This record gives sequence, C-alpha cells and structure tokens, in this order.
Amino acid sequence: MGLTSPGLVVVLAIVAAGLLGAVLWWWPRLAGPGLRPVLARVAALGALQLIVLGLIFVIVNNTAEFYSSWSDLAGDQAGGGAIVAGKYHASSRQAPAPSVAPVTVSTSSGIALPGHRRAAAGGRLQTVRIHGALSGLSIPGYVYLPAGYSDRSARLPVVVAVSEHLDSAGDPYSASRLADAAARQIGAGHLEPLILVVLPAQTGPDDQGCLDVPGSTQAATLFAQDLPQAIGTAYRAAAPAMRRWALLGDSAGGYCALQLAMTNSQNYAAAAVPPGDYTGPPGPAENGGSRQIRAQENLAWLLRHQPMQPISVLFTGPGPTEPFASRARPPMHVGQSGLATGPWRLAGVLDWLGGALRQPAAAVRS
Amino acid sequence: MGLTSGLFIGLMIIAALASTAVTVWLWPRFAAQRVEAVAARLGLIGVSQVLTIAAILVFINGYFAFFGSWSSLFGSGQSPPAPAAGVVASSRPILVTGADLGPVPGGSALPVQVDGRLAAKPPHVSAPAPGSANLAMVPGLKSGLGAAMRSVGQVLQITVRGEHTGISSYSNYVYLPPQYFQPAYAHARFPVVLVLTGYPNDPWSIVKRLAVPGTSARMVADGQIRPAVYVMMNVSVALPRDTECTNVPQGPQAETFLAQDVPLAVERAFRVQAGRAGWAVLGYSTGGYCAAKLAMLNPYQFSAAVSMAGYYTAIKDNTTGNLYGGSRSFQNENNLDWRLAHLPAPPVSVLVTSSRVGERGLPATLAFLHRIRPPMRGYSLILSQGGHNYGTWIRQLPQSLVWLNQRLAPAAPVVPTARGGPSAHPGSSSVRG
Repeated sequence: MGLTSPGLVVVLAIVAAGLLGAVLWWWPRLAGPGLRPVLARVAALGALQLIVLGLIFVIVNNTAEFYSSWSDLAGDQAGGGAIVAGKYHASSRQAPAPSVAPVTVSTSSGIALPGHRRAAAGGRLQTVRIHGALSGLSIPGYVYLPAGYSDRSARLPVVVAVSEHLDSAGDPYSASRLADAAARQIGAGHLEPLILVVLPAQTGPDDQGCLDVPGSTQAATLFAQDLPQAIGTAYRAAAPAMRRWALLGDSAGGYCALQLAMTNSQNYAAAAVPPGDYTGPPGPAENGGSRQIRAQENLAWLLRHQPMQPISVLFTGPGPTEPFASRARPPMHVGQSGLATGPWRLAGVLDWLGGALRQPAAAVRS
Repeated sequence: MGLTSGLFIGLMIIAALASTAVTVWLWPRFAAQRVEAVAARLGLIGVSQVLTIAAILVFINGYFAFFGSWSSLFGSGQSPPAPAAGVVASSRPILVTGADLGPVPGGSALPVQVDGRLAAKPPHVSAPAPGSANLAMVPGLKSGLGAAMRSVGQVLQITVRGEHTGISSYSNYVYLPPQYFQPAYAHARFPVVLVLTGYPNDPWSIVKRLAVPGTSARMVADGQIRPAVYVMMNVSVALPRDTECTNVPQGPQAETFLAQDVPLAVERAFRVQAGRAGWAVLGYSTGGYCAAKLAMLNPYQFSAAVSMAGYYTAIKDNTTGNLYGGSRSFQNENNLDWRLAHLPAPPVSVLVTSSRVGERGLPATLAFLHRIRPPMRGYSLILSQGGHNYGTWIRQLPQSLVWLNQRLAPAAPVVPTARGGPSAHPGSSSVRG
C-alpha cells in the first residue's frame, strides 16, 4: 500500500482504534504479578504508541507531502535529472519588449559660460529619453554633462533633479537654468564636475511622488533601479553605492526626492528639497486601498519607525522643517538654507549637493 | 534550556519513557471493570502517549531544524523590526557569533581526510570573545589555520544587522571555501550564493542536512565548480511569522533586508564581489519562492536564482498574517506569475526544480516556466520522483551548483605570467564600480 494512499490512513486508524479498545478491555488480564504480564504490558503500550505515531506521521506527510513513497522515505531514490532550458513560446500574449538602449539622445546643445568665447565652454545639455527596463516606464528628460566630460576618464557624481517645470526656461528648476547654474559653479571652481539629470515630477498617469503604485506605475523602481543602471551604462557616472548620487526636488518633486532618499539610501546619499512636512505624496493618494501603505507614505512616519538612514537632507529656503529637523539623528543629517536671489537661485544648493557627494562614505556615516 | 539542546531532547525522552514505566507500574491498580478504572486507564495511556509524541516532535524538530530556538517558535514577545526613534544603525553590519563549529558536515567525503568530530548541532552559544565583530579579529582566521580549514574551508555563524531596514537576523551561517585562505587568492574577490531556508527552518539545516558547504567543497576539489562564498540565511526575518521575503506595509521590510542589506553587509565584511555578475540566490520551498522573487525584483543585485520546489504566487495563510497591507494590487506585485504577465521581464536566469511524482507544485512550476520570456531565462530540473524533502533537494544540488557556476563571475587567483611576475586577473567588472 502506497505511503500517500488514503487507504493507509484508514487502515492505520482502524488498527489504532482496535488496539486501544483491546488494551482497555483486556487490561485486567495483564494486571497479574510476575515478569510475563509486565512484558506484555510494555509490549501492548509500545504497540499502541507505534501505531498512533505511525498514523500521525502518515496524516502529516499526506498533508505536507514530504515523502512521496516508501522508497523516498528510505532514501533509496538516487540520481538527478537533466537541466532543460525553458522554451520561450512566441505564441504567448506578451511579446518580449524590443531591446532598446537605456538612454536615447535626441538633441545636444552647448552651454555658454560668461567670459568664455567657446559655445560649449560650460558643457552640454542633451534632451534624452530614459527607458526603464524593469519599470517599463519611458520618460523624457535632460542630461547635463560638464565641460571636458569627453576628455576625462573619471566617473562623475550624479545629481538627479525632479522638476515640474523642466521645459519652461523661466523657472529656476528648468533644465536649462539648472544646467547654466551648474556650469557656472563648476567653472568658478565651487562645484566638482558632475552629471545633472533633470526628470519630470510625474512619470506616469497615476504616479504621485515617485512611488511604486501597487499594481500600476512603478516609479520607485524607475528611480531606484532603472535610473542608476541606465545612467551608469550610458554615461561615465559613479556607482550609487559609492555614495555619489543625490536628489534635488522643486515644490512638485520635493516629496519624490525626499521619499527616494529615505527609502533608497543605498542609492541616494543626499536630497535638497523645499521645506515642508511631507506627510503624503502630492495629489490623490495611490496606495492600492491599503491603510498601511498610506501610513508608510507619510515620511514623518518613516522617520519615526525606520532606522535613521545615512543621508543628508537640505531644506532649501525658509519654512517649516518639522519633524525632520528635530528628529533626525546621525547618520542622518538635516540642514536648511536660504535661496539666493537673481538668476542663479540654486547655485548654493548645487554647491551643497556637490559637497555632500564629495565626502568619503565614512565621513557621511559618522 | 535550548529547544534543540541535547539536554532538553534527552529530558523529553526520559519523561516519555518514565510515563510508560509508571503506566506499567500502576497497571494492576486499575484492573477492575468499573467506569472509573477504565477512565483512569485511558488517562494513563493518554499521558504517556502525549509525552511520547512531544518527545518525538522535539527530536524531529532538532533533526530537521524547523525551529532553532524557543523565541523563533513562540516569538520573542516584541516585534523586532521597529527600533525606537533615534536608534543609530550599527556600523558593524555582520557580527560573527561562532567560528569553531567543527569540521564541515559532509566534508569527510573529501579526498583530504580531516580529523575531529562532526558537528552534531549548531553551537548557538559558542560565541568567541566579545569584540570579535570584525572578521579580521575572529581567532583562527588570520593565523593558525587548521588542516580542516585548508581542506574544506570554514563555516562561521553570523548575525546580520540591516542598516536600512533595522532588521537583525540571528544564527545564520557563511561558508568560506578553502581557497579564501590561500595566498594565491589573497586579493581575489569571490562570487556569492545567498542560500535561503524553507519555512519554518533553521539555517543550520543548510549546513547539516542539505550539506551545501560539504557538497561545494567536494565539487570544487573535483574540479566541477569554482569556489564561491555561501551565505546561508533564514528566509524568515521575524520568526515565528512567515514573512515570505515581502516588504510588509508597516511591518518588516524583508525583501529590502535580503536583497540590499545582506549583500551590502557581506560585501563589507568579506572579500566578495559586488554587483550582479557575482551574486546569485538559491532556496528550497519558501526559500525557492524567495530566491526567484529576490532575483526578479532585484536583477541588478542578483543575476541568477535557483528555486527548488518553490511556488510562484503570493501566499497568505495563518503563518503569514496580513503581508500585503490588505491591498490586492500589492499582493499581485508579490505574485511572480502576475509580474510576468503584467510587468517587463527582468534580465535574470532562473532554474526551477520539481519532481514528476511526489511534488504537487509541479504544474504551477511548469506554468511559471512557460510564462518566462526574454530577457529573463528559465531552466528546469525535473526529477522522475522525489518528495518535498532534503533527500530530493540533495539530489538536485550538484547540478544546481554547476548551473550557478556557469553564470557567476569566478574568483581569479594570482597566476604566474610569462614575464615571471605575478599578475592578478581582476574579477568581473563590478556594476558598483
């Protein structure tokens, strides 16, 4: 009879019940003095124990299917099988995505630098499209490369700016103004040469604050996994693990930037965001209907309930900074700065980000 | 008294035998054919039966290493992953809690004979002197390497503290191959295989029952595979809860812990590779689901996964509790079949194993394999027969290790060059630079 056959359970159960009844019934017969009745008692009890244990084992084994047969139980099975490559079925509904480069560049223009005659003395600004292999998101953006990028071999730190107005030239957080400010600070020696990636604050129809919307837009996956991979493949960018990546957010991208720094501190070492309490993502909440997921999207909750992350946070400009300013403990650092007036409002913020990325990892963690 | 200690198991067996002896002793007193006497008989038999079953359960628990301690069976009374505000993450992510674990189980099959007894159970209390948090300070690693270590490598018991998640996982093990200690490999960085237990399961069973270190040492000695470091972890980070490698909303961030904190900690503490080319994950049962999931969700950390007798949907039962914050969408995201149908396929290779007879997960495994599409690659190892047990997985292990070996960047020893000077082949280019 097979180890996993239902018949075995029935037979064992009947035998166990019968044995128990027999022992109870004929108990007085074994009650006599002397060695033989004692041995008979031991044998009767032992047999009952064995049959009950066997019954339990067979029931548990049938439920969990640990052993499939008597030979499996005895360990008689031997030898492996063959490893077979799975065949991709072209007929299935989901066709494989055609292989695309992680970053495609459509235009590239020089950044002028005051006092220099060469058109691209300040570096170049490219309009790009970034294709996230894991998130499946494809978003437009800009990449600023500093002067002399093509001549140097060193891998550069990266600042990712998340902006609502990246295309409108008048906004301080527009790609062109950010690139101009970076070029000027690098040219003046205030800022280490870096790569500036400017991306929109909304990456998909229901994206709010670069979160992975449950079952929908995987914006966090784009920023935390796809982006470092794409930029690291297409450009000579430092690896995020070297603590050489930072975030910058405007009023629409601030939650995105701070949220990513607090939940992906292994990638992002610093974030500069407008002051605020950051209790939830901008716009309507997209949390899959989960109260717990919504609670986690409150960055003040994260600050209270997860370990202090090894990040530096700068609040740009005057305004409320609680609970971040008072609750942050090393290795997390929180600061606040004013904003300069004039066309280069973010020059000082860029300098601060550059400084946060210049520190060796040990110093950031101390 | 430890749940798996010899003393406790011994006392339980003595109690069972004693209750049987007492029953035999008192037998004649209840020989009358009265209701009270029959009830007393039933009581005596019941007590000895229960004690015997308890003794057998404790023995089986020790043998299969389901629960390694009382706290993992009943919980420690507090939820570990919620440190108080202002708690500073430890600067020592890996703590070595045991270095003298005896020879590697299975190592006796090696061509080189090693002396000493076989470690029978995990020495949970064999902590070396305090302050040995740094690997370099573990006695025996820097100096005085024993013959056993040179021939089969060494198993260390470690605690991993997650810098980002705040999760601490105790009684895990790392296996360093003998090459790790050889001068030719003094500057080589080794590939890493993260090995995950089932649920519930103590990681010592990977060392003792599945014999990953012993099998790997033998296959390296035979030239079948190249040396690698094996990090053997409990798949559950909050025992007795089954966390299924999920970032539980408002709960333990188990996926981040295993996919980010653990690699970061291991890369800092040991001479191993950084980045996906040097990292793979292998697991059985719940660990199989987690191996496939960790690789699919973190393909820039893991390039390959082996799922032995795993499953591919996001389960929810009494042992898991509410893992998905009550969100159907979030549960879907943890369902690997759903991911393959709705999200881009990740660039990882996955080997799934099962059996035609004895493994009821076979149809689901084949369905998962069928859903895999480029750039993801699927492979299968289907035995003709074998249940959900170590015997089956032991048979699948050698081929799985060969399969992983073909996908991991090797540790490169220093080899003499034509010019006579030593030259190191750097390991694979690391993604992290």
